[in-house]
Amino acid sequence: MTQAEQKELKKTPRWTSGMNQIAGEFSTLTDGLDYAAHGDTGLNFYAPRGALEHVLPYRDLREKARSTGRKLLRAGLRGGERVAIVAETGPDFVITFFACQYAGLIPCPVPYAMNMGGHDAYVLRIEGMLNAADASAVIGPDLSKEAISEAAARTNTRMVLTHTSLQELDEDGELAPFNSDDVAYIQYSSGSTSAPKGVLISQKAATTNTRMILQHGLKVTTDDRAFSWLPLYHDMGLVGFLLSPMMAQTTVDYLATPAFARRPALWLKLMSDNRSTVCYAPSFGYDLASRRVSAAASDLDLSSWRIAGIGGDMVRPDVLHNFIERLGVAGFKSTAFNPSYGMAESTLAVTFAPLEDEIIIDVIDRAQMKETGKAHAASEIDKRNAPEKVRSFVACGLSMPDHEIVVRDDAGTILADREIGHVLIKGPSLMTGYYLNDNATNEIMGDDGFMDTGDMGYMLNGQIVLTGRAKDLILHNGRNIWPQDLEWAAEQLSDLKDGDVAAFGIEDEVGEEHVTVLVQCRFADPARREHVRHEVSMLVHRAAGVECNIVLVPTRSLPFTSSGKLSRAGAKEKFLSGEIAPLEMDTPHLVAVG
Amino acid sequence: MSTSDKEIFDKLSGLLQKFNTKNIELTETTDISTDLNIDSVAVMDFIMEVEDAYDIDIPLNVLSDTRTMKDLVKVVQSEIG
Repeated sequence: MTQAEQKELKKTPRWTSGMNQIAGEFSTLTDGLDYAAHGDTGLNFYAPRGALEHVLPYRDLREKARSTGRKLLRAGLRGGERVAIVAETGPDFVITFFACQYAGLIPCPVPYAMNMGGHDAYVLRIEGMLNAADASAVIGPDLSKEAISEAAARTNTRMVLTHTSLQELDEDGELAPFNSDDVAYIQYSSGSTSAPKGVLISQKAATTNTRMILQHGLKVTTDDRAFSWLPLYHDMGLVGFLLSPMMAQTTVDYLATPAFARRPALWLKLMSDNRSTVCYAPSFGYDLASRRVSAAASDLDLSSWRIAGIGGDMVRPDVLHNFIERLGVAGFKSTAFNPSYGMAESTLAVTFAPLEDEIIIDVIDRAQMKETGKAHAASEIDKRNAPEKVRSFVACGLSMPDHEIVVRDDAGTILADREIGHVLIKGPSLMTGYYLNDNATNEIMGDDGFMDTGDMGYMLNGQIVLTGRAKDLILHNGRNIWPQDLEWAAEQLSDLKDGDVAAFGIEDEVGEEHVTVLVQCRFADPARREHVRHEVSMLVHRAAGVECNIVLVPTRSLPFTSSGKLSRAGAKEKFLSGEIAPLEMDTPHLVAVG
Repeated sequence: MSTSDKEIFDKLSGLLQKFNTKNIELTETTDISTDLNIDSVAVMDFIMEVEDAYDIDIPLNVLSDTRTMKDLVKVVQSEIG
């Protein structure tokens, strides 16, 4: 871009004067965009060092999406086919996503390559996603062409396009936008790399959930201006910060996720510059930013920030406390924090804390929780003097109108306040199902319309408090990590076989999970042991990009369930209790944590 | 005059030192994230420092094909070209 062009770039305004805000009262996503296109608001994209790079008013987005939709038809795609789109944070992805809406194609946002040295793992991931959606086409930026072509070649995906090659096509055919009874998109949120599940979201679910977010959760007004660095292939980024703002004609300023990861403090600076009012992040995002902001905090003005949503991982009270300490000087208000709970299977939002309330931190008695399965409030004495005896949880808010949330025991009985059980939800925001995967859908969808979220928690005066996951998911830095992915990566090593590896997260005292990988090793020679440890560390690292503690353990020490499945929970318990003892190693840094 | 690979290697080694908590000796074949066992957030920190030091932007796709010190020297060399 030349300097002259950069000068001309002018970000979209907070609101269009004289325009009437319609907050989510639309029956399809294209209805919402058709209306938003009447104003001057839209989307602004910032470059990694904070310069404004692209401006895309909703008006231009609509026009370009309609034109691109006809190019997709020209390419030979037909109504109802699935189109995977690499969801880089920029106009190309957004235009193509809405082009699919106008052309009646089902867009499936997929991630971009992010980890250093992660090429192979990335191709594998995309391959799994193309298969899960039975995608006809995959579209990405020019630089991703090699990787997505490699993935497509291993699947039934017949068409690989880059945004450049797509735009070179002529327009053809008649647009046939989805109507209110149709599907809207497929979101990948759950499942391991090799068997991802595509969450099929209908227009009804998408329009209902965005309306709930706008009217009930955020109570959006024409004074709002949103900010996001969340990836657009996740529900919180896509639904929370693309679809929802668009459905209320709200302007959004974006910083791409990797740019945030490299310069966390830039997030707060851009929010200050734009006087942004709404932004969401997982706890670890607030953690990173508050550590990096340093002395510059007093130069910032975050007084306009009315909703600092927290979602995507377990909310950590200590992190929020540090953030308030560091950013209070910039006018950040502690009441802006809004713990929320959501998942792609419910489009996005499930619960919101009431606006402008202080966070409710429930301090409970650890021993009683373990013994009775109840979250008894800790005694005042223990709270003050015995931090090791208590555990703090954050209340994540109330259900939305027309939606329900309940906590049940294993037998399905609804539990009382403070009794820990399975969290189930019901309502018009729920997914249609996992695409082409009835087994997985039936596993969590009950005949009574309630869906098992896989999370554990308890109710407290109508608010849900989450205590953990029923499944073996590891939560690390705001990411869901499937232990299978780590185990399969490790088992690539020829010295290991299926069932030799167990991965799980171990929580430290502040609730942060550390990835631990137990590896059964049959070698007595220290050098061979060290070799196995090093190779496993490398394979796991390359697959997931996380720091992990690799611990070699004796053969036949990992427990299995009666049906012959590896018991990760069992392995973790035995490891923590010392029943599974690490093999001796030469190098000192292999001492187990716990 | 162009910067030699050796100069880039030495500068990268210097930038990497604070992430290299186990003081592993850095060679051309050192795999930056796995040999040093640093997580993806720390890798991003390191990459940012490299970008700032050379005033370059390393595209993500390029990063996903970069593993060793030698790879990274090559990337920097081509970006400062």
